[in-house]
Amino acid sequence: MDSFVMLCFAVVNSIALLALISLGLAVIFGMMRVINFAHGEFIMLGGYATVIANHAGVNLWLSMLVVAPMVVALIGAVAERLIVRRLYGHLVTTMLATWGLSLFLIGAVTAIFGNTTMGVSAPLGNIPIGAYSIGAYQLLLIGITALLVVGSLLALHWTKYGLIARAAMQNSEMSATLGINCDRVYAVTFIVGAAISGLAGALLAPISGVLPHMGAAYVARAFVTVISGGGALIAGLLSAATILGPVEAMLSYFATPVVGQASLLLLAVIILRLFPTGVSSLWTGGR
Amino acid sequence: MKLSRRSFLGTSAALSAASIAGSFAGGAWAASDTIAIASLHDLSGPLDIYGVPSNLCMKVAVEEINGAGGLLGKKVELKVYDGQSDINKYPQYAQKAALNDRVVMVQGALSGAAREATRPVLRKYKIPFVYGSFYEGGLCEKNTFCVNTGGNQQVVPLLEWSFKNLGKKLYYIASDYNAPRNFGIWNHVMAKREGGQVLADDYYPLDVTDFTAAIAKIQAAKPDVVHSCLVGGPAMSFYRQWAAAGMLKRIPIISIVFAAGNEHEVLAPEETDGLIVAYNYFQELDTPKNKEFLAKVEAVAGKNHPYINGEVFGGYSGVMLWAEAVKRAGSFEREAVLAALESGIRWEGPAGVMTTDGPTHNTTQDVHIIKVENRVWSLIEKKEQIPPDTYGGKCNVFTNPNQTDFLMPQI
Repeated sequence: MDSFVMLCFAVVNSIALLALISLGLAVIFGMMRVINFAHGEFIMLGGYATVIANHAGVNLWLSMLVVAPMVVALIGAVAERLIVRRLYGHLVTTMLATWGLSLFLIGAVTAIFGNTTMGVSAPLGNIPIGAYSIGAYQLLLIGITALLVVGSLLALHWTKYGLIARAAMQNSEMSATLGINCDRVYAVTFIVGAAISGLAGALLAPISGVLPHMGAAYVARAFVTVISGGGALIAGLLSAATILGPVEAMLSYFATPVVGQASLLLLAVIILRLFPTGVSSLWTGGR
Repeated sequence: MKLSRRSFLGTSAALSAASIAGSFAGGAWAASDTIAIASLHDLSGPLDIYGVPSNLCMKVAVEEINGAGGLLGKKVELKVYDGQSDINKYPQYAQKAALNDRVVMVQGALSGAAREATRPVLRKYKIPFVYGSFYEGGLCEKNTFCVNTGGNQQVVPLLEWSFKNLGKKLYYIASDYNAPRNFGIWNHVMAKREGGQVLADDYYPLDVTDFTAAIAKIQAAKPDVVHSCLVGGPAMSFYRQWAAAGMLKRIPIISIVFAAGNEHEVLAPEETDGLIVAYNYFQELDTPKNKEFLAKVEAVAGKNHPYINGEVFGGYSGVMLWAEAVKRAGSFEREAVLAALESGIRWEGPAGVMTTDGPTHNTTQDVHIIKVENRVWSLIEKKEQIPPDTYGGKCNVFTNPNQTDFLMPQI
């Protein structure tokens, strides 16, 4: 029984982590069609912002939930203004440009903070489950991720801004004729995506080390999740994470983590073979 | 002056011939009053946490030798190369050190990959290579001398101690590449020898940051002790998540790689307290020789010098052992120095007595089992004079002088 609960925890944790690291990318890539290769670095910057703010004496929760997303939003705003803005609509060019941005960010962070791992330790202690125990912070992480996903869903579907954003992304010319300032909508959406990525990095900082090239560990998994999810932004992301996460966690548990990681990619290939536009084409009719 | 194409080619050919002849004039150092050795380490990039202090240790050794009047009447000059954590740089710099600087010894190339890129180049140019990193063991080559511990010298004492004091059931979790897999074989060798049991060999790719499933698996297996050979930044996540799950106080962790990158200073004490490792050297070692050594390190790098751990200590012991060999040989020539090293150079340094071993080209030395508490290491047990493994007699440069391949431990 205890071991079953532990396995469930590992599975839910795996789903939540996939959703958490992919949400920011879903906004930037899924909505705006900007292949953001610097997504991993936005996560990394969120981690650094947290650790540095915390070491400077800011409360840990404040550093994670407020400082990190704000810092990364700011960096995202600058990147949007200087680079990404000029390339909307050019898929391959955005990929190259954001790849360059990612290399620059890694280099800059290395030059400023050095290459050693930094970090803060996880708060909240642990919770015993029978003969086992799990970190309480990880439970909270699952909760916060759920809140974030639900919040994004509500924001996109039930707020006026969400409606405008979706309209601008779907047909910018039509939206422009209706008096919507599309440039601004794009900019704000990119910044929001960056802020969410930063928040993800901040939330991950206490359970993993923070170092300049940590983004590489996340970016591929985030892309796999978002692409497997397909057009329906949040629902697609969530369903992809729910399919991929358990398989990865179970195979890591019963076989080896190498098998787990490989299965993640293999499963994504199968999903895309069956549903070329992602899982969500099942209910959106494959747009 | 009008320069015809023919005469230009003629002069430049003559010039370059002269310069090539110059660079090959063997023993050019005979006339000079300095002698050069090379430090080939990663001074930038992801591996600089190992490279910078290793290079510092070489510097300390060179200053000590020069302070005592040099070697055979010459000052030792340290040529420093930055491998930049880029394997491609290693053969290039090794070649440059050999041909351009005409060094008489190269030390460095800490990672297994860097070492394998460097070794053939130095063998080709007949420049003795001193390998200062602790490693999986099994390197038995005429031109190379391994001055740090090989696989058996860390794993065997650590596992002997932990099977006796912590329990017989061992769980192995490690990064997935050559050295940890090699150390993994040693676990089985030791389990067989000591009547212990290896519950699992869990290898994780180097980019894994989520260890939730791993930790659940370990808890389910209920081991007496966890042996971790996880390396790199993402591996820090394991120690974090292990502590966050409250496991640190329940199942002890032993390791032979933890703290080689000074992880104990990066992670919080509540994430590392109680971890047990085995190294030939650690900075807190309470001996007069070590106090002297640390004073020298401070003199070179200041009070805030990086922590000197067992991994980077090879930078110091390597140069000192080489210097002892030069003194005994009375020469800087490769053959004479190698012969001296093979004859068993005994040197007493901060980590105790070290003796070079002829047949294996490795080193016999003390190994310390130590435990960290609040970022400070303390001695649990000293295992004296552990010889290198001979791999069933196969590791012997006297009988196999052309052997250059790696040997693997056999169960």
